[in-house]
Amino acid sequence: MFHFISKRLKHSLVLLFLASLVCFTLVVSAPGNVAVLIAELRGAVATPGYVDQVAEEIGLHKPLLMRYVDWLGDAVQGDFGISYRTGQAVNADLSKRILVTGMLIAGGGVIATLISLILGFLGAFWPYRLPDRASRGLALIGASTPTFFVGALMIYAFSVSFRIFPSFGFEGPESWVLPWLTVAVLPAAVLSRVVRVGLEDAMSSPFVLTAKSKGLGRTAILLREALPNITPIFINALGTQVGLMTATAIIVEPLFAWQGLGDYFLAGVRFRDFMVVQACLLLFLSFFIVVNLVVDLAVMLTDPRIRRQWS
Amino acid sequence: MNMLKTILAQINKMPRAALITIGLFLALGIFAPWIAPQDPSAQNLLDAGGGPSAAHWLGTDNLGRDTLSRLIIAANTSLVSVGSVLIIAMTIGILMGTIAGYHRGWVDDLLMRIVDVGLSIPSLITALAVIGIVGPGYWTMVMALSLAWWPMSGRISRGVAVSIMSKPHIEALRVLGASPWRIYFGHLLPGTIGQVMVYATADAGTAALAVATLSFLGLGIQPPTPEWGQMLVDALPYLESDPRQVLLPGFALTAAVIGFNILGESIALNRIPKPLTRRMLALRRAEVASWGKENSNA
Repeated sequence: MFHFISKRLKHSLVLLFLASLVCFTLVVSAPGNVAVLIAELRGAVATPGYVDQVAEEIGLHKPLLMRYVDWLGDAVQGDFGISYRTGQAVNADLSKRILVTGMLIAGGGVIATLISLILGFLGAFWPYRLPDRASRGLALIGASTPTFFVGALMIYAFSVSFRIFPSFGFEGPESWVLPWLTVAVLPAAVLSRVVRVGLEDAMSSPFVLTAKSKGLGRTAILLREALPNITPIFINALGTQVGLMTATAIIVEPLFAWQGLGDYFLAGVRFRDFMVVQACLLLFLSFFIVVNLVVDLAVMLTDPRIRRQWS
Repeated sequence: MNMLKTILAQINKMPRAALITIGLFLALGIFAPWIAPQDPSAQNLLDAGGGPSAAHWLGTDNLGRDTLSRLIIAANTSLVSVGSVLIIAMTIGILMGTIAGYHRGWVDDLLMRIVDVGLSIPSLITALAVIGIVGPGYWTMVMALSLAWWPMSGRISRGVAVSIMSKPHIEALRVLGASPWRIYFGHLLPGTIGQVMVYATADAGTAALAVATLSFLGLGIQPPTPEWGQMLVDALPYLESDPRQVLLPGFALTAAVIGFNILGESIALNRIPKPLTRRMLALRRAEVASWGKENSNA
């Protein structure tokens, strides 16, 4: 078991290194001279002398490898440089915004899990009947509707037609509902299919036959025999969806005026603020790697078959 | 003629609803300039925000432009950009995939590792990162989305290429002394292209979503060119007074994506490329060997 964990940790470290390399090369390969850009952003006329001074200041004259090592050393300590647009330290903004995005993804993940379990369970309880077809149709629509349109529909339904929830802002539980629901639609649609197919698969295995012959009811079999069997698959799929929710957050946060990481990343992309883009990208990539690591460990804890393989 | 018949037979097996939606989307997209009843960018501020009337069947937007014409022209915009994204992405993907499938060994490992990394990053984040570095614009959007899309076709074409390479006729070609170029360009590449094209059509739905999402964020197709995502974001401030302008482009886009997704599901259920396993290869060899015996007996 420790062998598995250490092997998995090493794998994640290699991936983290690759992710940092990707983020670094992306910014280094940007067209145009960064020093000129910064000089102009500081409001000065970009005379060659001043540009040289700026280049010296941010270390553009050093060899690439040195710049990478410097950048990585700073980034590991949480220093992501200074935003070209605002002139403020990127990490000060990041620490404020990380909580907002964390809340969005956590709430969305919980709602998506609940909805998908209910829909998938209904489908597996009455396979190929009306509830199954309805949940299948809902999943298709949910997976095909663009997230920004889901958000617009939510605002139209819940804060224009019926004034139940506020349409934007981040003040208390009421304003959290709509963003959470919007973020949850896509993962709920995908996960409900995973649950439905997984349950059907488990229901055709021999241990279910044994349970039937013992006289257990359909609900009891589904909950006690089939559900534990699909947890590893479900956790795997949930991990992928949680990763994808960072991309959804980029759309949902500006829509509901949440000051989160997605909003920050988007602003960085709009104003070509390389430091912000780089920092957010590195955070997103690290998040995917960590989620994958957690998923693998959780799958090992919940699946005795895999646990036995490694012990 | 025979080819037409097999194509028609293939199409007949696909779900009817998806075909109708996609057919409508394609027809609107290709013939948009002739179908659109009015100039999509002609403004008439006196008529702004008007409801459905004889002149404007679906009303007008906040600048008094005809919504129906804009919706139809947007299908054309969407079709052209999705088409170029898929063509570029598939070219890169098929090249990488076939090279990996032909060479195997370390080339395969390296390329598939890159594909794995590409697939694990959400395509929106990849595309936005590229746009953030290069700067927004139509061709940046197309390049950024192709960069985010090629790993998918890369993985599929690698699977197809491996399964083609393990077929007996390639072995026969090798025995005949065919050059690697002949095997690659004459047999591997054409076979792979045909099969991967089918999967690409299923991908078109998500590609259309991505184009609309980038335009919604203001980083894709720039106004005044009409595009569904961008029409929606333009109308969003007037959601309370004129919700029709938000709902119509949203439903148009959703319908197109649903069509492609149904098609994609039916394709994925019907044919998933599987490289031949070693056991199947052995069986096939035994079978081929037995043909030879029968012939020598006769």
